[in-house]
Amino acid sequence: MADNRRDLTESLPVNSDRVVLVPKAFESSDPIAWCPGCGNFGIREAVKLALSELGLKPEQTCFVSGIGQAAKAPHYINCNLFNGLHGRTLPVATGVKLANPRLAVFAEGGDGDGYAEGGNHFLHALRRNIDMTYLVHDNQIYGLTKGQTSPTSEGGMKTRTTPCGAIEPAFRPLALAVMMDAGFVARGFCARPRQLADVVKLAVEHRGFSLVEILQNCVSFNHVNTAKWYSHRVYDLTEERHDPADRDKAYHKALEWGDRIPLGVIYKSGRKSYDELVGDMTGPRVSDRVPGLLDVLLAGLR
Amino acid sequence: MSEVNLVIAGRAGQGLQVISRTLGRMLVRTGHHVFISQDVMSRIRGGHSFARVRASTKPVAADGDKTQVLVALDPSLVARHVPDLAEDAVVVTEATDDLPEGLNAVRLPLADLAREHGEDPVMANAAAVGAVLALVGLEPDGLDEMFGSQFAHKGSDVVKRNVAAAEAGFRAISEDRVRCCPHQLLRTEDGRQKTGDAGRKPDRVLISGAEALALGAIAAGVRVVTGYPMSPATPIVEYCFRHARQAGLIVEQTEDEVSAANLAIGAAFAGARAMVCTAGGGFCLMNEALSLDGMTEVPLVWCVGMRPGPATGMATRTAQADVLFSIYAGHGEFPRAVLTPADASQSFRAARDAFRIAERYQTPAIILFDQFMADALWTVDRDELTMDGRRERREPEELKPYSYRRYEATASGVSPLLFPGTPEQLVYADSDEHTEEGHITESRAMRILMVNKRDSKLAGIRQDLEAAKVEDMAEGEAEVLAFCFGSARGVVAEAVTRLRGEGRKVAMVHLKHVWPFPADAVSGLVGDGRKVVTVEQNYSGQLAQLLLQECGLRAAGTVRRYDGRPFTVAEVEAGLRELMGATSG
Amino acid sequence: MAEDKAWSTSAEVTWCPGCGNFGILAAFRQALAASGLEPWQVVVVGGIGQAGKVAQYVGANFLHGLHGRAIPHALGVKLTNPELKVIAVGGDGDMYGEGGNHLLHAFRRNPDIVCLAHNNGVYGLTKGQAAPTSGPGFAVKNREAGTRMPAFNPLAAGLAMGGSFIARGFAGDIKHLSRLIGEALEHKGFGFIDILQPCVTYNYVNTAEWYRKRVYDLELESHNPLDADAARARILEWPAEGDDVEIPIGVFYRSRRPAYETCGRVEVRTASAERRGADPVSVVKKAMEEFR
Repeated sequence: MADNRRDLTESLPVNSDRVVLVPKAFESSDPIAWCPGCGNFGIREAVKLALSELGLKPEQTCFVSGIGQAAKAPHYINCNLFNGLHGRTLPVATGVKLANPRLAVFAEGGDGDGYAEGGNHFLHALRRNIDMTYLVHDNQIYGLTKGQTSPTSEGGMKTRTTPCGAIEPAFRPLALAVMMDAGFVARGFCARPRQLADVVKLAVEHRGFSLVEILQNCVSFNHVNTAKWYSHRVYDLTEERHDPADRDKAYHKALEWGDRIPLGVIYKSGRKSYDELVGDMTGPRVSDRVPGLLDVLLAGLR
Repeated sequence: MSEVNLVIAGRAGQGLQVISRTLGRMLVRTGHHVFISQDVMSRIRGGHSFARVRASTKPVAADGDKTQVLVALDPSLVARHVPDLAEDAVVVTEATDDLPEGLNAVRLPLADLAREHGEDPVMANAAAVGAVLALVGLEPDGLDEMFGSQFAHKGSDVVKRNVAAAEAGFRAISEDRVRCCPHQLLRTEDGRQKTGDAGRKPDRVLISGAEALALGAIAAGVRVVTGYPMSPATPIVEYCFRHARQAGLIVEQTEDEVSAANLAIGAAFAGARAMVCTAGGGFCLMNEALSLDGMTEVPLVWCVGMRPGPATGMATRTAQADVLFSIYAGHGEFPRAVLTPADASQSFRAARDAFRIAERYQTPAIILFDQFMADALWTVDRDELTMDGRRERREPEELKPYSYRRYEATASGVSPLLFPGTPEQLVYADSDEHTEEGHITESRAMRILMVNKRDSKLAGIRQDLEAAKVEDMAEGEAEVLAFCFGSARGVVAEAVTRLRGEGRKVAMVHLKHVWPFPADAVSGLVGDGRKVVTVEQNYSGQLAQLLLQECGLRAAGTVRRYDGRPFTVAEVEAGLRELMGATSG
Repeated sequence: MAEDKAWSTSAEVTWCPGCGNFGILAAFRQALAASGLEPWQVVVVGGIGQAGKVAQYVGANFLHGLHGRAIPHALGVKLTNPELKVIAVGGDGDMYGEGGNHLLHAFRRNPDIVCLAHNNGVYGLTKGQAAPTSGPGFAVKNREAGTRMPAFNPLAAGLAMGGSFIARGFAGDIKHLSRLIGEALEHKGFGFIDILQPCVTYNYVNTAEWYRKRVYDLELESHNPLDADAARARILEWPAEGDDVEIPIGVFYRSRRPAYETCGRVEVRTASAERRGADPVSVVKKAMEEFR
């Protein structure tokens, strides 16, 4: 399998003096509207750390988010941002990347955003394999709208819209990603920012669609999957010498849940990214284009 | 003026569109003005489809009244066209034994000709073209070049066989030319071939409305085009796909419409000139994205095709019933432009206008068209089609590092525009109500500021778009003004010309854009005492509603049609006549 | 009801001669005839496209709705009247493109609905664009160099989402397909069948012959549909690149899971007032207590 790591110096203009920026470069002044104790804080720290350690400048990044508490995250990081519609994160991010491939594009949102409203876009983004990093803050509940069931709420979980317990089993994004031969599939946890930052860095470096599912607690509305609940169950795949190229193993790891929940890189496919297959799509602008383009096109209509 | 009206009828899958297009191009090359409309069913094989071809020495933009030549690729379809046939019409078909009585029928063995001379049944199309040339009195000149340009990619053998089949088709008719076609419509009395424009070879092209929209967008510098297959918008996206490499385009057919609209927004946010194409129900799905476009002030062009609804309606037919919808689509209040071009030439320019408006005012610019306009083939002077990829955006003046505010409030409402990736600056766009920086806010003052800011742009757009004008009429002579928009223009213009020929005091007002509604210009035109009627292809008289709402003008009546088929000149003429009788005009 | 008149209508069939839909329709009719159901007990919900038209041709109740929305419509029907047999029908663009999200969640929720997805690898009704199941390099009219994405594998998505009945059929083997549809009709849960078919007008690659040379019956290979690992391996055999492929058909995976509409409180969930059993006035009176 070809090495799918992309050398950042090629496609992204890098901080020229190679000094590792302290996360300060990514500090934003926007006051944070999350609950105290929200898992989003840990994720934010990890993302800032990853961006700094990658040597990216804020203007080289573009965060695209949907609607939800998680989707506010780009406002709290210093970066280009497009905070769009619930569920429509991936199409917008795709458009940004196609129009300006030199940007490091991130899509960010919650589990409802990504797997309910955005389910179709998620499914086809896994196929399309556009080079971007998708950070899904999965707290297994709808936070911003105050406690309804989410696709990843576990079966039997009581929420405002499932007072008798959720009757359907949870959505399985990682299993789906592996079955769709997604480029890069990984999981992190908001209370382990160092590990998460490492995974995010690998995701960004991977040339293709990189899914990073991030487990997080919701102090206000999810009293089942608390930070403690996750802490007792998560373990790092690197301790097990897991081979992300092994699709069968990866599928089983993707389904592993309950007493043991794996963190880290679960699967990496050897697929080329969409932009690699297409070639440089930036193309000439019309103003510098072939003179007489209209005549060429009109030739078939005379 | 001399002209000929042909109908080519067949079943879906018989190559109607190829025949009519090839024929059209031949006629344009001989200096004629050609207009071709397509009547197609929502199926791939069978059924009944036809093309109406009108060729004239003067410009034409509507179907002719009576059919002088009917070419029926399937004899069983002849009966359906009998009511439209002129008295001395010629009917050409494969088998003439079972036709309705009293027709001047000519047997044309297309299948045999195709086999013998073209060595392939599909060459029947070429044979039909050749036959029609003979029928209308043209020579089979330039067939090599014609088929050469069409089928070069299939090899010289295919080209040769097409030419052979066409020539055979020509001979099959021309040997009996006088009996077949006593008019020889495009010949002068002494037998010379008539050409339009007295022999000068004008540089014209035959282009569909959809192609003109696509070409106009390319000429205006579009780089990203998105869509999901939906009639009648699909040909726009397909044209872009075919020429993507040549024109440097990124074209995406997405998994659904919502993705198409949002992808285009992302691309435009990142700095590309972008366009999304859809129709009817697809536009419904995109409504939230339209609202997002208004809120985030991303420059984006929307091509929205109209067809009979509601829901799936009549997928391949025409209507003008989504005007009010387009003006009010997308929840919340935000400015937009809605352009309603009449034909290919106006579509080409509308595309350029749309990109200019979208970029200058950072709003959605909607080009609203219909199936009839998109699928028809129009004759356009080459000179009218020019490139103009000028950037319209307002750039910020001297900026300190990381100080850019995407939604800076200005008098005009238009903020200086930067794209992400600009060194030492950051760009924030937000679907929530936002501050001038672009962060989320619930502040009352900021909300009011932003609503006002967005709305101020409407004044600029209004001024930017050309005012409506009364067509072809000296001031003061009309007592009745017939208002129309979009593709109704050709039919109404011709109907009005006929009525004026009888001394009736009527004139046409065609609106190339319906939003911002040109209220001042329209009120000025109507003045005191002139009566207003509308001609539109919808049930509820949407243009009449707009006139009332925006100008306080109550239409004396509406000529309407809503059966999925386009207006005919005769019915508009009759409708106007009746309304004028009622208003004693 | 006379056998040949059963499960048919007088509506004009507007498919191209040679269309794979004819085979699928025949299989569907046979399965319905063998099911013991009466037409009034069946609701066929169609999407928009050539395949969706099937809804109008089987002489049962039908709802012919919007492109991509057959599954939500079908779910609505089933929740309201669970005693009806509900079948959603549509093409690959309909089910996997526009309706992809609904399909994903249907696998997960497992309503007792049959889903017949006609897969011809192209958009037929709109004349030849690439579909989610078009393979890379499949040059259709709107992609010079073919699509640049791998073909969508609906069975893989189904397995990942916990689907309880995942199968594939072929329009060219009517007997086999008819049996499959029968099993799906019997299955208590989301009975999904991806049905391969040629499109004689727009798909010159995957013709009936092309499929015939490559399909093989899983049952003849002693495949055990209760074994998820074995199912996964077979599911991933195709779509795959290259001409030298083998395409398994039959039931890939089957499991026993409760059907969505039977979970827990069906009395509460069913919309029909008769089924609820309680007198509305007393229900409201009791509820008002909360607001005193």
